[in-house]
Amino acid sequence: MKLAVTGCGVVSPLGIGREAFVDGLASEDPRAIAFTSPSELLDPALDAISAEVSAFDAKAWLGKKGHRNFDRLTKFLITAAKLALRDAKLKTDDAEWIGVSPSRAGICSATAYGSLDAITELNRVAELEAPRYINPARFPNTVINAAAGYVSIWEDLRAPNTTIVDGNCGALDAVLTAKTHLDHDRGDVFLVGGGEVVSEPLYLALRKLELIRDQSAGLECGEGAAYVVVERPAEADARGAKILCEITGYGTAFEPPTSEALLAHVSEAAVARAMEEALADAKLKASDVDIVSSAAGGIARFDEAELRGIARVCPDAAVLAPKQFFGETFGAAGALAMAHAVAMFEGGSVLPLVRGTATSTPTSIIALAVGHYGNVSAVVLRAPR
Amino acid sequence: MSRVFVTGIGVVTPVGIGKTDFFRALLAGENGAAEITLFPTHDLERSHACEVKSFSPREHLTAAEARRMGRASAFAVAAARMAVEDSGLSTKQLAGPRTSVVIGTTMGEANVLGELESAWIHDGQEAVSLRKLPTYGSTLLPIHVARAFGARGMVKTLPAACAAGNYAIGYAADQVRAGRADIVLTGATEVIERLQYAGFVRLGAVTPDLVRPFDADRKGLCVGEGAGMLVLESEESMLRRGATPLCEVGGYGLACDAHHITRPHPEGEGSELAMRAALTSSGLTPAQVDHINAHGTATRANDAVEAKVIKKIFGDHRPLVTSIKSMIGHCMGAASAIEAVACVMTLQQGVIPPTMNHEQLDPECDVDVVAGSAREADVKVILNNSLAFGGYDAVVCFAKNGVFPETVGRAPRAGETS
Repeated sequence: MKLAVTGCGVVSPLGIGREAFVDGLASEDPRAIAFTSPSELLDPALDAISAEVSAFDAKAWLGKKGHRNFDRLTKFLITAAKLALRDAKLKTDDAEWIGVSPSRAGICSATAYGSLDAITELNRVAELEAPRYINPARFPNTVINAAAGYVSIWEDLRAPNTTIVDGNCGALDAVLTAKTHLDHDRGDVFLVGGGEVVSEPLYLALRKLELIRDQSAGLECGEGAAYVVVERPAEADARGAKILCEITGYGTAFEPPTSEALLAHVSEAAVARAMEEALADAKLKASDVDIVSSAAGGIARFDEAELRGIARVCPDAAVLAPKQFFGETFGAAGALAMAHAVAMFEGGSVLPLVRGTATSTPTSIIALAVGHYGNVSAVVLRAPR
Repeated sequence: MSRVFVTGIGVVTPVGIGKTDFFRALLAGENGAAEITLFPTHDLERSHACEVKSFSPREHLTAAEARRMGRASAFAVAAARMAVEDSGLSTKQLAGPRTSVVIGTTMGEANVLGELESAWIHDGQEAVSLRKLPTYGSTLLPIHVARAFGARGMVKTLPAACAAGNYAIGYAADQVRAGRADIVLTGATEVIERLQYAGFVRLGAVTPDLVRPFDADRKGLCVGEGAGMLVLESEESMLRRGATPLCEVGGYGLACDAHHITRPHPEGEGSELAMRAALTSSGLTPAQVDHINAHGTATRANDAVEAKVIKKIFGDHRPLVTSIKSMIGHCMGAASAIEAVACVMTLQQGVIPPTMNHEQLDPECDVDVVAGSAREADVKVILNNSLAFGGYDAVVCFAKNGVFPETVGRAPRAGETS
């Protein structure tokens, strides 16, 4: 696999836009910027903390009109897409395409629970009033792929639009989807990434399942969206694009649980197998890997198994846990991890470190995504030549 | 690059469970629509749908499976079991990292979420079922199928609204062609749920009576549910075990209208791109297509646009067009997967299911509709068409063995188009 990454757009609790994101990562205390206490999005009575894109002003990014019925995820995705396409110099500030036809531009976008708050909003109307009162203009938001569909409409992307729901692995799985489309000449440029939002039904469900951090263990909810622009390297070179990094490998694995009764589980073997497959795809040795950007999010049994899996394949690599800065963003996690990798290749701070010693000038990074059902995906990113 | 074959099919539909009952019902023109039993409809303007009424999870699932999955997953696992049995693959042949699962859907376990939210909204968090909570999540659809067969490769959910089945089948074929998997269990699943049903009613999309695809008097769709699953297999895997393919999977085409979230582009720009891409990547010309299993929802906009595109691409050739949604309703994400099973059966048996309730062709829909009764035909090549919310367009090409050229599935060369 060889994809050129030529643009990156980020909507994150650390900042909106690549520069703001890098600045947030480099700040003295990124967690203090990212985590909002108490949450601005959840019921104050919950006394919840989450990593939120505070005071997100859709009008500032999307203009004054045309987005009244968009949900929060859709607004995040469009903003990230817009920023990524302009960062790649594929579009002007006036939304004119440069050097590529809209019929050759597509999107591979992940989310895990993206439409949940839209569904809840309409379910409240249906349950407390009657189904006949639900707003038909907001009904499309309940369909999982609608948010990415709106991105295509807003940014005029007419090549394939693929939404991926692979839990925490979605955004990394979107890399293979885009690579597949490029190999089959279904387009020339693809936005790859995804988004997730903090929502009350999701927070309450996680809390009920005792997965939310209380004193010391458990995950912290986060939100955000990110896209990287990927192209065939020769075409990126030909148009004089700045190559931010290359994606050179992808691997995925699934292992069932040891007990039939289990649903949620983690597999150290799947972690190792996905990493090995990604390294083989990238034609890299484990010793070449400087950094593993882990999926560790605070659920002890998951984090420990992941670390063991990483140690089996890359025992000498430094291990980061970016969710300490972003919170658990599920479908967006891999997207933020790729944006984080781009930032590190550009000289951004290599944090937060949970194992080993990190170089400040990494050349090879593995981004990992660990699903809650035994699925794991891995992507190899390399510094630009 | 490997060629990709269908070696097994399975279905759960409103008119029959299993390929034999399903196809017999289609050929007989059975209507799967009836009053809804899954939820109350007294506060809605419509009250009928195509439910799967004869599905008993324990006939298809183990007790443990039935406990840990919702209706959409249960449909998918049941259809997958039928497809695997049809393929003759053993558990040993399926187990391992060379078998993947790719499943499409629109809203996944929507009824699980509906139940959870109803409890929460009316009675608070304490009323939410801790047992049911983990069973929501579209990620689980392929996980359940993978667990049922010991598959340990890719597990992927592609929510592509009403084109999800074709998205999944096409992507699964990509993975086999690329050598990333020997076998992929693929298809799509969907359930009828109250909010989703109410949404279609509020959009004015649901017919007050019959579904009449391409008819001048068509008044809308009927919501349906079900699952269609296919076993896709590489030529090498199939030859290794001495299996006989049901048909071959050709290329497929994807495009996005980038026009409107629920309405198709008025000129069908995305649909045309997708159909042409399916032909080009299959190495075929329009004149080689015998039959189109249409999206044919029977909404005013869909059928007019779809027919316009078919006429533009095929001109005077006029392949036979049918819409089985006139019998099974619009099974949303599962629609094109179930229709893919119908395509495979048509190739096998040489008979095209009818478009029921079609009495007077809409002049805006100038296509050759197989109206009223099934038609025997020497069908060698079929396009399976789908259009969806989000402007998604997806078309998969199926053909009898030996029809596709050597170039099937490869990327088109510069300037190639059908």
